[in-house]
Amino acid sequence: MQAEVAQLARISAGDAAAFGQWASSIEASLRGTLRPFATLCDCEAVVQEALLRVWQVAPRFKHDGRPNALLRFAVTTARNVALSELRRTSATPTELESLHRALEAQGDATPRPPDPHLRTAVARCREKLPGQPAAALTARLERAEDDHALAASVRMTLNTFLQNVSRARKLLADCLKKAGIDLDLELAP
Amino acid sequence: MTPEELLLLEQVVSAHRERTVDGVIKSHPAWHDLDAAGRSAAFDETLRQRALERAGDPAGQSSTVKAVLARLAR
Repeated sequence: MQAEVAQLARISAGDAAAFGQWASSIEASLRGTLRPFATLCDCEAVVQEALLRVWQVAPRFKHDGRPNALLRFAVTTARNVALSELRRTSATPTELESLHRALEAQGDATPRPPDPHLRTAVARCREKLPGQPAAALTARLERAEDDHALAASVRMTLNTFLQNVSRARKLLADCLKKAGIDLDLELAP
Repeated sequence: MTPEELLLLEQVVSAHRERTVDGVIKSHPAWHDLDAAGRSAAFDETLRQRALERAGDPAGQSSTVKAVLARLAR
């Protein structure tokens, strides 16, 4: 709890590195709470918008004394962003009612600690990727650009680039499975 | 899933998102072209992909967190 309060103080003071550490520690939990919205809005956009709003509000955020205060605030912010998007895109009352039921059934989100075994296994499996899938995946991971620009940077057409990213992800998943890692199990709520 | 749907899904799994003129992060155009099953699959794939990215990054950051941090600087 002390560490959480100290981290919040750094974030509130405008420490982007502390914010990055916090965001990395809670991203999976935050994204997981958006599952009821998965077919209704683009949750990647919602997660990013929610994190940006948390950063903007952080200097005025007051810790309520309970664990994971900023994560709980991020979850509420993300739900509000998603609901606002749904109102804009005319979700039906039935969809909204079903959403509210799903959200009420969720418990409090908690951060997931990083898995050092997964880190080692991912590094080993990435080394085994063939040239083109490896190049496409690395471009995706290292540069926050649109896929047209990324494809051009590795001299591929857009479709070839996307096929190679897809292939790289499949090869990685297969390699991890062989190493005894079930990602779905790791990510289970 | 058809090859065309797989290409759409792959685009949606990317963390790259444009912004509206008033600064709000926009949905990926490919997301709108997916049906409900494709959107669910994209959500699950993104969850898995970000976990792999955090595990494979020296700072433990996914492409989502990197995209957000890049926005802070603008």
